[in-house]
Amino acid sequence: MTALKSVALASAMLSVAGAAWADWPTDRPIEMIVAFAPGGGTDIMLRTLAPFVEAELGTQIPVMNRPGASGEIAYTALSQAKPDGYTISSLNTPGFLTMQVDRKLRFDPAAICPLARIVEDPGTFIVQAESEYQTLADLVAYAKENPGAVSVGTTGVGTDEHLAMLQLEQAAGIDLTAVPFAGANEAKTALLGGHVNLIGLNVAEYTTSDQNAVRALAQFAEARSTLAPDLPTAKEQGFDVLMSSERGLAARCDVPEADRARLAQAIETALANPEFQEKAKQQQLPLSYLSGTDWTAQMPARLDRFREILALVEGGQ
Amino acid sequence: MEFLDLLMLGFGEAMTPANLGFCLIGALLGTLIGVLPGIGPTATIAVLLPITFFLPPLAGIIMLAGIYYGAQYGGSTTAVLVNLPGEASSVVTALDGYQMARQGRAGAALAVAALGSFFAGTVATFAIALAGPTLSGFALSFGPAEYVSLMLFGLLAATILASGLVLKAIGMILFGLLLGMVGTDAETGAERLTFGALELFDGIDFIVIAIGVFGFAEIITNLERSGSEGVSVAPLTRLWPTREDFRASWRAVLRGTGIGTFLGLLPGGGATLASFSAYSLEKKVSRHPQKFGTGVVEGVAAPEAANNAAAQSSFIPLLTLGIPSNNMMAMMLSAFMIHGITPGPSVLTNQPEIFWGLVASMWIGNLLLVVINLPLIGLWVRLLTVPYRLLYPAILLFCCIGVYSMNNRIFDVVLAAGFGLLGYAFRKAKCEPGPLLLGFVLGPLLEANLRRTMLITQGDPSIFVERPISLTMLVATVILLTLMILPSFRKTREEAFQEEEA
Repeated sequence: MTALKSVALASAMLSVAGAAWADWPTDRPIEMIVAFAPGGGTDIMLRTLAPFVEAELGTQIPVMNRPGASGEIAYTALSQAKPDGYTISSLNTPGFLTMQVDRKLRFDPAAICPLARIVEDPGTFIVQAESEYQTLADLVAYAKENPGAVSVGTTGVGTDEHLAMLQLEQAAGIDLTAVPFAGANEAKTALLGGHVNLIGLNVAEYTTSDQNAVRALAQFAEARSTLAPDLPTAKEQGFDVLMSSERGLAARCDVPEADRARLAQAIETALANPEFQEKAKQQQLPLSYLSGTDWTAQMPARLDRFREILALVEGGQ
Repeated sequence: MEFLDLLMLGFGEAMTPANLGFCLIGALLGTLIGVLPGIGPTATIAVLLPITFFLPPLAGIIMLAGIYYGAQYGGSTTAVLVNLPGEASSVVTALDGYQMARQGRAGAALAVAALGSFFAGTVATFAIALAGPTLSGFALSFGPAEYVSLMLFGLLAATILASGLVLKAIGMILFGLLLGMVGTDAETGAERLTFGALELFDGIDFIVIAIGVFGFAEIITNLERSGSEGVSVAPLTRLWPTREDFRASWRAVLRGTGIGTFLGLLPGGGATLASFSAYSLEKKVSRHPQKFGTGVVEGVAAPEAANNAAAQSSFIPLLTLGIPSNNMMAMMLSAFMIHGITPGPSVLTNQPEIFWGLVASMWIGNLLLVVINLPLIGLWVRLLTVPYRLLYPAILLFCCIGVYSMNNRIFDVVLAAGFGLLGYAFRKAKCEPGPLLLGFVLGPLLEANLRRTMLITQGDPSIFVERPISLTMLVATVILLTLMILPSFRKTREEAFQEEEA
């Protein structure tokens, strides 16, 4: 009797469990890991997007910040989560790619599948408004005469600005001095105070700065960003420098194909929502959607480029 | 008077019922999270930021600002009551504040802290209104070289914090510097002292160390001393400060306000440095420096005034230049940008109602905080009468939640427990943790700026004496050092002479 009861109970539970599985993603919240501290660009972007994806999927998406080690802590956490589609994570380049070059990782990058690229934000070099450099050529000319005398504020080794600087050094055959700061705002303060000659920023950070105080020399994209249509690219000025930071979302690759497709679909639809687009405009987000597959396809080329640049650093300097 | 007109415009904006309401909500919320250890204003604001989408720009910003300075008020409450500094800037408040609480003068300590903070907040708010744009130039003139000299001065001043042996204080500072080294080297990307732990890549969080060496160590010591019976808190004598308390603290408040207003302008660690410096200064000018650390009211008044003044004046670089001076200000910047407002000189001319409305609301918010906090003192103090066997598990729990919620990882909680044991060992060895924390906070700033300076000048150190601000601070450092060495030198000489004569 009792045995029968427990069998009945077990089968009831099983069917509930089975139903729950089929109910994905509405039966429990999907955790969104953000690899940066609350209040950063990635965090605010994803917190803004989350309600729209929630509406698409009919579930809740709480944001969980797991900052540190330029994203490695978050990617490791994603790799250790169950492959049931209830955990997704932010994904940022160049961090995700450069860490594959210069670190021994605690997760397998190949096991993380991008769902969508949301933003692409090209790098720029900016100087004080009264600086004598008007173009990259002016800067290069001065640096040729005075090797090492031009100081470039960056936010650390292997960051976008640093990689852009290394590319320019290589492309123009010059020697610049990288000065690491704890963040873009510290670097900006040092630039305004005249303590460094120029700093690297992303275009979105540049366009939200006081335009009377600073001037951009170039943007490091293939094509001009929608945020700065009047700013020439480095390629237009004759220097092969390509650098942008991309932000998107990713899941484990072993999440069932159908679920990943559903997630990607929901993100794509949410991004196209006019209400979201309006908010993105207010935040000056350079939206640049790319499907997970297309984004993945781009990565090896970028990775090779970073590998080359970083090899130069270790070899030469 | 154009200035008065603008200020009136600001008060007009800030006094609308809706804005007043948001100011109150922010201040209340701030007080609450300030009292809970480890749950900082940065995380709270990050969570609330999306909500401000739906508010008018000024209302949203007023609420967030309220949370920020409300947390400064609340943070000192736990520092005084249970020796648990919620943030770096209230570490020194715990030194004398907690001793006062144990002597039954918790009410006096909290009241002096609240009133001192209010006064400092008022002065700093007017400084923003009157001289904001001028003062922001001062922040810009601080380059890497100036920071190096300032940090050297700060580290030397840290030895004054301790009431015991100077040698032990120096040892603790050095240990703090060592802890500050943990993490990734900013210039080369090399791992330092991480022992392969991914969680240590970005260094150790201040909160982890503070909660360990102050909070946990305090609980261990208390339990050892009296079992779960409780801490021997002297019966509450009176809730309000005495006339002598006021007489002793008003000068300290004035000096603290001055120091805080200036140091708050500096990006990175301004408020922390301000409260440490204000305490050191009080101890130096006091007629009874040996009493510091045993519960003197100036030791609470000065750092509290300083950190609140600094909290206000850290808005100056943000509002006038668009540059946030700390994480909190970076969050405020996001709040502005969400509404399409780019802080900077253009806001002052194009949207004066935003700038002046915020300035006016800061003063109102400070007033509200005094109104909220003074009646609450009675309630807080009664917390001390809760049996310790009930109180300490609650404190432990809140500490653990706070530490965990910073990065959502259990590693930090274990690390804090480790620092708790270390802090207990320090107590046994009569080494004070204050200088350790200052070394920990200032060390990385000193290192980063020293390396930046050397990179920029390509290895030429003469920049330190060529730049006037840097030179001034180096001279001050030398004077301070001489003052510290001379009296003891003279004393030992005198003792030696006396021995000879005897």
